[in-house]
Amino acid sequence: MRRTYLGEFEELVLMMIAILDGQAYGVTVSQEIEQHTGRAVTFGAVHNTLIRLEEKGFVSSELGGATTERGGRRKRLFKVTNLGSNALRDIQQLRNKLWQMMPDHALNMSGI
Amino acid sequence: MSTPKPPRWARLLLRQLHPDNTIEEVEGDLDELFEHWYRRAGKTQATLRYIHNVISVLPPFVKRRQSKTTYHQPFFLNPDMIKNYIKIAWRNIVRQKAYSALNIAGLSIGMACSILILLWVRNELSYDRFHANADQLFRLTCNAGDFRAAVTPAGMASGLQAQMPQIEASVRTSKSVTSLFEAGEKKFEEKRVLFVDSNFLQIFSFPLLKGEIRTALSNPGKLLITEEMAKKYYGTQDPIGKVIRRNNQENFTIAGVLANTPSNSHLQFDFLIPMSTLARYDNDLKTGTWGNFNFYTYFKINKNTNTTTAGLNALGEQIYKLYKAHGQVMKVDFHLQPLTAIHLHSDLQIDVPGHGNMQYVNIFFVVAIFILAVACINFMNLATARSERRAKEVGLRKVVGAGRYQLIAQFLGESLIFSFLSLFIAVGIVYLLLPVFEMLTEKALNIQLLDGRLLLSLAGIAVLTGLISGSYPALFLSGFAPVKVLKGKLRMAGANLYFRNGLVVTQFVVAIVLLVGTAIVYKQLNFIKDRNLGFDKSNLLYLPMTGELWGKKQALKTALAQSPLTENFSIISDLPTALTSGTVDLEWDGQVTKNEVVVPSMDVDENFVSVFKTTLLAGRGFSREFSGDSSSYVINEKAMQIMGMNVNNAVGKSITFSESRGTIVGVVKNFHFKSLQYAVEPLILRLNRWGGVVIVRTQGGTNEATITKLGEINRQLNPAYPFTYGFLDKDLDNLYRSEQQMGNIFNLFAGLAIFISCLGLYGLSAFMAEQRKKEIGVRKVLGATVAGVVTLLSRDFLKLIAIAIVLASPIAWYAMDRWLADFAYQTTIDWWIFALAGLTAAAIALLTVSFQSIKAALMNPVKSLQSE
Repeated sequence: MRRTYLGEFEELVLMMIAILDGQAYGVTVSQEIEQHTGRAVTFGAVHNTLIRLEEKGFVSSELGGATTERGGRRKRLFKVTNLGSNALRDIQQLRNKLWQMMPDHALNMSGI
Repeated sequence: MSTPKPPRWARLLLRQLHPDNTIEEVEGDLDELFEHWYRRAGKTQATLRYIHNVISVLPPFVKRRQSKTTYHQPFFLNPDMIKNYIKIAWRNIVRQKAYSALNIAGLSIGMACSILILLWVRNELSYDRFHANADQLFRLTCNAGDFRAAVTPAGMASGLQAQMPQIEASVRTSKSVTSLFEAGEKKFEEKRVLFVDSNFLQIFSFPLLKGEIRTALSNPGKLLITEEMAKKYYGTQDPIGKVIRRNNQENFTIAGVLANTPSNSHLQFDFLIPMSTLARYDNDLKTGTWGNFNFYTYFKINKNTNTTTAGLNALGEQIYKLYKAHGQVMKVDFHLQPLTAIHLHSDLQIDVPGHGNMQYVNIFFVVAIFILAVACINFMNLATARSERRAKEVGLRKVVGAGRYQLIAQFLGESLIFSFLSLFIAVGIVYLLLPVFEMLTEKALNIQLLDGRLLLSLAGIAVLTGLISGSYPALFLSGFAPVKVLKGKLRMAGANLYFRNGLVVTQFVVAIVLLVGTAIVYKQLNFIKDRNLGFDKSNLLYLPMTGELWGKKQALKTALAQSPLTENFSIISDLPTALTSGTVDLEWDGQVTKNEVVVPSMDVDENFVSVFKTTLLAGRGFSREFSGDSSSYVINEKAMQIMGMNVNNAVGKSITFSESRGTIVGVVKNFHFKSLQYAVEPLILRLNRWGGVVIVRTQGGTNEATITKLGEINRQLNPAYPFTYGFLDKDLDNLYRSEQQMGNIFNLFAGLAIFISCLGLYGLSAFMAEQRKKEIGVRKVLGATVAGVVTLLSRDFLKLIAIAIVLASPIAWYAMDRWLADFAYQTTIDWWIFALAGLTAAAIALLTVSFQSIKAALMNPVKSLQSE
């Protein structure tokens, strides 16, 4: 199987898409990230990441139906693909494993 | 309060610079965010953030979404598409009838040729493979110096089997014997009678329809006949147990009925008589001699024996040692010849008649492939020439989304349809031509369409032809750039023209090589026929002495001498064409080493020299005036040379031949008593004291009367035997039967290859003429003559044919030189043959092309120019 390469911000965006469950698009993803991490992200960063995730096959997108609220402009809605959910699960497992391998005293800042 | 709007200039900037395919969603998203920020932090904050975010999605910061260009496309072998290809192909075929007819005619004739040749090749290769143990069976052959023969002594079969564990079983057969058979009213002379050992049917797989294989040949008074003979002599009655009389003296009971000998067996027989019958009076068999080479010996070799060439050579050496240990002094090399190689690889003397030749099989196989290639080239050529017409179709298909593979599939499909259509027609042609072809090759070839392997190979040929002939058009046409095609006229690239010219040249190279081949085969055959044989072969009629004629020799002579028609006769032991045995047992005065050259001998009477019109170089022929001539010899030049004598001193010398001493009384000029494939051999003539064949030199034009007269004499003196006769020159011609056949077949196929090439040329010239219609129109309006236009259109083709002649000549020369190397006497390969073949090809091609050119030249220019 292809190995999963996922950057930190990409992982964050991918998780947001999973959390939003069908309601993920540029605006909601930006707002959620801002709300949960407190960091101000530019829209461009989110937009680029969405495109990259789709190129990697972790998400798929579809243009939603036109609505009047955005002046008739359509939203691009994102969904996590099987590959994307597998990637997230892999990352979680890897993290868990690594946490378990970590000795108890490793994070004690005794040296200072 | 209306919703606030982000700054117009920022939005305009966004619309201008953001990638087209994501502008809609991004603009919407940014609007939503602006509203969100506005509600949370007021207008200034929102505007600032908006501008900041707009910049983050402008180049170079924005990532472009790759546009999805791959839209849904059916798989190129989708059934619907295949249906479509077939439909389009069919419409194309029907719409362009002349073009399709040319293509199909060329392909089907080409296929028919190759099918015929392949049938013949298959038949040649299938010889003796039907025996269950074919790979274990070998025939013992011998070489004594230049004399290579298929016969071996009678005693060797059992003798070697006893001493060599590798030999599982051995079986001998005699040479074919002619016998008279009589059953009830029916009485016929049969030529295909063999004496065979009792285990013959256990070693060879000739099916026995009635009777018991184990015992069928064990009883000396019983014989086997084939189904055909059973029908001939007994009609519908059961022949088993019936009595059949041989040569008016022996009665046999029929012990079984064999299936007719398969045509692809080197052993051909109608009657099988147990060897034990012959052993009652044959000296060779009685004594089990290792000295006289008179029988064919076959061995079944143990499966574990090494039968590679080296292994067989080792066995041969072992056999020679045993042969020497048996007290034989002659130096003979023995070989074990695989049964399956007998038909095609045998160039031995004293062999069963009707051999094939591996060289011819190879030649014809190559010819078959060439003819098919010529037909394929035709197809390619016509298709590429017409590609301009179809370019628009290709362009349009590509524009509406056809991929390259679909186009390739379409064009290959089309050529496959052509080739399968042609295959059907070809099979029809084969059915029609098979009788003619069988006559030409003197072979029973049959085509059974229910034979799975044949069907498969036919389909294979069709698929191969289709794929090859369709490959170039498919690859070429599918590569068109749609925009260029649709924009305007597509100028054919020069490479395409070169390719097409190359194909035409190839076609004509093949045709010219075949033409030269035909010419040289004919020249060689004529050379052989016209060559001075050293005697006059015309008007020599012969009557074999059969039955009672032996006993009534004096009466026969008197009867012959009485009629002016037959008075010029000679009685000789055997026909020169049938002179197949010889001996090394020759000693002469002053001899240094033992003679190892096989010297045949012929017993002739006093009239021989005058009847055969041979030339005496020294001394005299046999004569009644010399009573001592029964111990005299007449030798030929070659024998004289072998013994180291010359014309001046040969006469009067004593020699011992076959253990009888005598004096040389005359030397005759060499005359050819064998096929001209062999150089003249030494020959010793003895005085005939027993009989053999009556040879009558008829006066020209009295053949019919002479035959009647001979028939009359035969009826009077030999009433029990039917009258048979023959002409020596016809027998001689028969020696070149396979060459003659090859010539005929060559002729046929050379003609067809040229015909197919011309079909292609015709199509091509029609196309060229049409393409240059307007040019010709303009030329004519400006005053060009018809002749000028014809020259214009034909010149290019003639150039190609000139190139073809140059290329074909060395190839043809090389091939024919190798063929001629097989003959001891060869005709020359003259330059004019190449010139003639080239001229013929050029003339035919010119004729083909000129039809179209003249048509184009005669056309009213108004018509061709009007359209513009």
